[in-house]
Amino acid sequence: MKDENRIGTQNLGSLYTDGRVRSRREWRGVVDTAYDFSRWLHNWITMFRVVLVKPRNIKAMFRYRWMASYLAVPMMIDRHTQGLRNEHLRICHEEQDLIVEDVAKLLDKLFRGDRRIGNDKEFSSKVVLVDENEMQSIMMGFPTVVPLSREIASTYIPVLLNQRAALHYIDVAQEYGLAGDVCPMPEAEAGVSIDDDAPVLGCCAVQCNTTCDGSLMGNSVISKRLELEDGIPVFQLATPLRHREDDVQEYAAQEIRNAIAFIEEKTGEKWDWTHYFECAKRVNYATECRLNWLEMNRTDYPQVFGSNLALYTETNYMAISGRLKVFEDADRKISALAEKAFKKKRMAANEYRHRAIIWGVQSHYYMDFLVWLLNCWGIVPLTDMLSMVNTRMIADTDTPENREQAIYDIAWLTENMIMRNRTHGGYKVLLDELWEFVEEFNADMVILWEHMSCKALDGMHGMFEEKAREKGIHLVWVSHDLFDPRVISRQGVRDQINSYMRTVMNEEPVDPSLEILNDAESW
Amino acid sequence: MKTIGKKLLLILLKLCLFAVAGLALLFVVYFFNLDMKLTAAMEPVLTWFYDNRVKRDQHL
Repeated sequence: MKDENRIGTQNLGSLYTDGRVRSRREWRGVVDTAYDFSRWLHNWITMFRVVLVKPRNIKAMFRYRWMASYLAVPMMIDRHTQGLRNEHLRICHEEQDLIVEDVAKLLDKLFRGDRRIGNDKEFSSKVVLVDENEMQSIMMGFPTVVPLSREIASTYIPVLLNQRAALHYIDVAQEYGLAGDVCPMPEAEAGVSIDDDAPVLGCCAVQCNTTCDGSLMGNSVISKRLELEDGIPVFQLATPLRHREDDVQEYAAQEIRNAIAFIEEKTGEKWDWTHYFECAKRVNYATECRLNWLEMNRTDYPQVFGSNLALYTETNYMAISGRLKVFEDADRKISALAEKAFKKKRMAANEYRHRAIIWGVQSHYYMDFLVWLLNCWGIVPLTDMLSMVNTRMIADTDTPENREQAIYDIAWLTENMIMRNRTHGGYKVLLDELWEFVEEFNADMVILWEHMSCKALDGMHGMFEEKAREKGIHLVWVSHDLFDPRVISRQGVRDQINSYMRTVMNEEPVDPSLEILNDAESW
Repeated sequence: MKTIGKKLLLILLKLCLFAVAGLALLFVVYFFNLDMKLTAAMEPVLTWFYDNRVKRDQHL
């Protein structure tokens, strides 16, 4: 399937340089370039308005090493909008610009309460620190409490912005004897704590046994410093891993009750049911929108897919959890744009050749790989593992029965946090359901991320291959090391696809200029 | 009144010209990625600062 009328989408590789940044921005035709320019301007104004006009935030810029990565915010947006036109460009900006504003506000709040920077004690007394990989549904009934994740600001976002952002912290953690083969994400988070580079604020913290043993290791290092040195008590939310089993649900619900009681005790605030059910309605609306987008992606004209689906779902589902109305508004706008594009049979690239399901834990230092797949080889990333999260509607009206059900719903959402709902819970959620999605989405290809340090997935390697052979599906393994491009570079990631497409599929790229890029030094 | 009107018109015209010139300048910055080229140049300065000027209590 081809679209010949798109302006300026050939030779996208010519924009790359050997250094940190691209030579220039894309020419997308008059209307789309003007639109992209207006959003660029909007984002700079947002960053100045929320962060850069406040002296305390400038002070933080010179205190925390990870803050240097935020210099690359506009480039991250450019990476994700590469080759996009019309509604797809607008959908991407609708999402990315909102995320930029949300993260800017997160930084501003962190530094406001930080004992080293703003030291606003009254504000800090209402702050609850939460894990990076933690569903914030636990905070849906606390409208006056401020949940903040230091790890999202110090590791998660910086690696999206700058592929090398976590290297210093990984090295620090290993210098102090932490194992080198552990997942670099919790290792970097632990490194930030060891390096004394995390803001210190909040009246308490809630950590969750989210993803893996590495995550537990990182949390133990962080909580030790929080509790023993900073005097910030930490609650360990131990959510069951076999989340599809009925007999674990009561235990999961009790953990939620305990966590709520802990937050009430430490903040002095009471759980607010009216606010909870307001948020629950927004969670259901987000689920409904996501299901509609996925339904569209089953057709020949997918609209909200690739990184437009992945990054937004991660943010909206996990970090927002219905707490902010602006995300509901964004859901509505994105759905309207997607419907419009669907009616016009719009394509997001020059050519669609293959329909792929992206499975496994994606490379964080190369989140725009999905955009590259589409532009370079015409492989349409219909959906990804991290976007295939909860599809159940939760109780959203305030009745005595629903108040009890709500605790089970929060537990269910926490158990089904992105990634953990697939990497844990048995082979059905990781293996069997992949092949169901392949059929549902009419995919002819599976791109399987192999995160080298993720023990949860590596053990299933042979079973994936066996099933792919049986079903006649092209299965392409793509190895990476999540936060560490020194182990496998971005070009190393691309080479795995390039070799498969040339040798097995016997194809030439749609845009040959993107096949080999010298972006090892790039942000 | 006419003179005041003319003066206001002239000020408005000048403001418009400044706005257009400002936007054109910003568009050059945008298109040639000058904002990112500038921030990329700032990165080593900040790194030097983190390495040499920030006192840390680094420990496990």
